[in-house]
Amino acid sequence: MGPWGFVSLAYGIVCAVIVLYWLLLKRRYRQAEAELNRLKSSEAVNSHDKG
Amino acid sequence: MAQSTAAVKKRKGVLGGLALLAIIAGLCWSLLIAPPDGYQGEVQRIMYLHLPSILTAYLSYFLVFIGSGMYLWKREKKDDLLAHAAAELGVLFTALTIVEGSIWGKPTWGVWWTWDARLTLTAILLLIYAGYLMLRSLIDDEQRAASAAAILGIIGFFDIPLIHMSVYWWRTLHQPPSILRPDKKPWENVHPDMLTALAISFVGFLLLYFYLLSLRYRVGEMRQEIKALRLERGV
Amino acid sequence: MTLLRQTYLLLSKDLLLELRRRDSLLTMFFFGTLLLFVFHFAFDLSPDRIAELAPALLWLAFLFTGTLGLAQLFQAERDNHCLDALLLSPLDRGALFLAKTGFNFVLMFVVELVVIPLFWILFNLSAWNLLPQLFLVTLLGTVGFCTLGTITAAITLRARAKELLLPLVLFPLMIPVILATIRCMESIMKTGGMTEAMPWLRLLIGFDVIFLTIGILIFDWVIES
Repeated sequence: MGPWGFVSLAYGIVCAVIVLYWLLLKRRYRQAEAELNRLKSSEAVNSHDKG
Repeated sequence: MAQSTAAVKKRKGVLGGLALLAIIAGLCWSLLIAPPDGYQGEVQRIMYLHLPSILTAYLSYFLVFIGSGMYLWKREKKDDLLAHAAAELGVLFTALTIVEGSIWGKPTWGVWWTWDARLTLTAILLLIYAGYLMLRSLIDDEQRAASAAAILGIIGFFDIPLIHMSVYWWRTLHQPPSILRPDKKPWENVHPDMLTALAISFVGFLLLYFYLLSLRYRVGEMRQEIKALRLERGV
Repeated sequence: MTLLRQTYLLLSKDLLLELRRRDSLLTMFFFGTLLLFVFHFAFDLSPDRIAELAPALLWLAFLFTGTLGLAQLFQAERDNHCLDALLLSPLDRGALFLAKTGFNFVLMFVVELVVIPLFWILFNLSAWNLLPQLFLVTLLGTVGFCTLGTITAAITLRARAKELLLPLVLFPLMIPVILATIRCMESIMKTGGMTEAMPWLRLLIGFDVIFLTIGILIFDWVIES
């Protein structure tokens, strides 16, 4: 493997890992947000009914 | 309430955008504009990743220390959230540093791994903070996990200089002179484009780091809220 | 009551219990000796190599034996819910830290006192005159191990898989002690003195002092009910 091979390997792995982690975070973010909204809206509904 | 969240999200987006710009600029300089090193050739370009990576990792561990200390002092959830998020990112960037260092090492030293001071130290750092994450995941009680992790965050941070000293001495005292070529320090007779590449890469990594940190922090925050709400409802 | 007096009381309680039952002490002693036997089969221990490897082998044995002791450290308190009682009393947590560290130290001290000469006999080493110096260095290393070990044992107390987690968390943190102690011992065995290894010795003592201090200050936050 020539020098550029090693360079691309390093840059490639770093890019891939960071992008993957970023995507993972975005997914967790979306899931948490959805769950939070769900809980909050059902709370609003409940308090509405009671109020 | 909804408005402030939207504003915060927009700021995160801007940060992410800036990070991306800096990274692209950094890539241009690192791969295209900066000349190859006299000794190491093209492979030296990996240093534009390696140095910012390890610095970002150290920044992360410092934030773990701050968060841990503040949490033990004030017992505010946000400090614990910071420590946890920073630890996760720290492990990520440390792992990347090791991989980059190893890939750089193969053409330079001929081996994928060597127990030289830098690589060894980075590996130990990885072990300590991976242990931090494991500790957190294995304690069920929220508060206990936070306290235990905070203690480890502080102990680990104080241990780092000691580990540095011991590993460097081990590798330099009583050892035959190594055949490793020393890295040129950035401020010694270096082509200005190389310095620029390094500087832009630093900035890019930093922006990226804070962007990811803000995301991770928010995820942790939301999970907290979810737990609290579920507890209220008895769900 | 002063810190030292509280420490003394707690420590003597633990030592008294141990004296009666000798659970930890015997297990640790047999385990340490067993490891020496295993090392003999695992490594090619010819007479010329054994002197080189002695410090490392001894310390490996002590590390694992010490970890065994740490696993037991808070066992008595947990079994009888004494931990809650201790925490409710106006006891300085620093005293609890010192007492537990001291207790593990005493156990390891006794084990080392027997295992090191045993090692010398089993592997036909001749440098008996070096034993006092070697023992001193071992003790300093043991202090470092016990301080970090007690803190680690306390924070992993409520974790699942704590027996596995404890060494996982402890060993990377112990690396300065491992390096310093073994290098000091190697220097003693090679040159008969510690002058060559002075930086390591200072590092070791520094480590002990730093983490003893941190332990005393921080233990308040470590043990919580």
